[in-house]
Amino acid sequence: MLAGLDRIDRLLGAILRPVVFVGMAALTAVITLQIVSRVFFTSVSWTEEVARFLLIWITFLGAALAWQQGRHLAVSLLRDSLPDGPRRIITGAAILVSLAFMVALMIIGIRYMNVQSFQKSPSLRLSMTYVYAVMPIAAALMAALSVVDLIRLIAGPPARGGASALPEIE
Amino acid sequence: MSLVLAGLFILFLLMGIPIAVVLGAATMGALNLSGVPLMVVPQQMFSGINSFALVAVPMFVLAGDVMAQGEISKRLVAFADSMFGFIKGGLSIVSVLAGMFFAAISGSGAATTAAVGASLVPELKRKGYDPAAAASLIAASGTIGVVIPPSVPMIIYAVIAQESVSKLFLNGFIPGVAMGVGLIIVALIQGHRRAYPRGTPFNLATIGRTLLSAMWGLMAPLIILGGIFSGIFTPSEAAVVAVNYAILVSLFIYRDLTLKQLYRIVTRAGVTTAVIMFVISASSVLSWALSSWQVPGAIAEFALALTSNLYMLLLVIMMIVLITGVFLETASALVILTPMLLPLALQLGLGTVHFGIIIVVGLAIGMVTPPVAINLFVASTTAGLPIEKITRAVLPYLGILIVVYLIIGFGPLLF
Repeated sequence: MLAGLDRIDRLLGAILRPVVFVGMAALTAVITLQIVSRVFFTSVSWTEEVARFLLIWITFLGAALAWQQGRHLAVSLLRDSLPDGPRRIITGAAILVSLAFMVALMIIGIRYMNVQSFQKSPSLRLSMTYVYAVMPIAAALMAALSVVDLIRLIAGPPARGGASALPEIE
Repeated sequence: MSLVLAGLFILFLLMGIPIAVVLGAATMGALNLSGVPLMVVPQQMFSGINSFALVAVPMFVLAGDVMAQGEISKRLVAFADSMFGFIKGGLSIVSVLAGMFFAAISGSGAATTAAVGASLVPELKRKGYDPAAAASLIAASGTIGVVIPPSVPMIIYAVIAQESVSKLFLNGFIPGVAMGVGLIIVALIQGHRRAYPRGTPFNLATIGRTLLSAMWGLMAPLIILGGIFSGIFTPSEAAVVAVNYAILVSLFIYRDLTLKQLYRIVTRAGVTTAVIMFVISASSVLSWALSSWQVPGAIAEFALALTSNLYMLLLVIMMIVLITGVFLETASALVILTPMLLPLALQLGLGTVHFGIIIVVGLAIGMVTPPVAINLFVASTTAGLPIEKITRAVLPYLGILIVVYLIIGFGPLLF
């Protein structure tokens, strides 16, 4: 059971890493194109829009990857100073709050996506569904990871992140 | 309703929930209780990050990460050493100058600390400097990373306060240099007292040689900052130019970067970005709720009813910023404090740029104040020292940074 969870956990990370890489590479490429075309030819109109949409995708899918890696910032000082019993209870409650938020975000995200589905982006005429879809997708991934955390907490070993979840860069 | 929000916020925060979720969940709970349709949540979460100016965040993070590893930072340190190493305790000056210089390439405090620390800590240890003092000086110099442009916190502030990124960047130079000068003075006094050795003797030929070898690194700030201030690039474009420049120099000129490493650095920078941006996104819902309940206006009214003394209120604002920086990491503190305090600052006649500098410098100092002290953590990892030791050694530097902070805050009002 726990081994199966570990596999799901690692698989999500292995899928998300290249996605985030491609997002970052595409962002760099698109703005490079914007600069080159403006300086040497005529400016392209759609690059800013694509860059903003890429940033939104990187934010949400990267947030899911950061969740998998336990990299999100948290004030864990007080919780970590508690003895084992209360700490597990508070950790469990914290995971439940996160899970509830992610499920709510997923549901509202889907509704928002549907409401906005007739919108088209100004310059590319891209359906905004493709942009807004990332919120429910990422929320579902983070909800799934929270469930994994919860089962792990109940089954024994400590949850990801916590005190060691330090940001690499501020 | 704002009391429910504040209660949930503090409760969730202390439970150790990720700050982005704390911001989103507490606000969502309070909005739901007050009967506001929750559709506002996704709407604000998207609009808060749907900004071309914020594209500069991932790009400056990435550029800093690429340049922090390897030759570019090493050669910069060698160049600074050839100029100031001959002074007693000169390697301390080199640490601060390297920090200031790297600050002009990187937009983050941790990247600056990591870059300078990796090249200098071994050298400082070898020359007999007190390792804890050396590591803490590098951590303190790292705070300049977000004050001298480019700066990720300044970009975030500019977007929230609807101010121009370039204007904030331009106003970061003098405070950044002032912080550097302050640190150098304290370091020199310590060097004199502890009888630190002299380093590389002063020699024009050595300076010339190291200058030439550091050329590619030295050109980076000229291209980045020159491009922004001459108006050739927007800050976001300049950030991408910096990324391309750093990658090309590391791959083809210094050849100290493999494609595999590059993949790891890019992915890691993506995650770092997402962590910051997710906090910004969630905080947009909070700012929307706060302003719809007119909280910022109420804060300003409350403060002005207590006293109308500008100096008093500015001092209180600066203390709030410092204290918040002790407990929260920079981006989270920034997105929470800015919408709440900006209206008060404007009513006091501070101006968006001056207030931005106050908030960014104050939170930068928070990078060396535990428990949440990113630069101390990075320095402790780089130097292989326990964080407690570095924390004690950082106190004199923290003191001078606070003095400089007061000068930066009050100075513009006096002249």
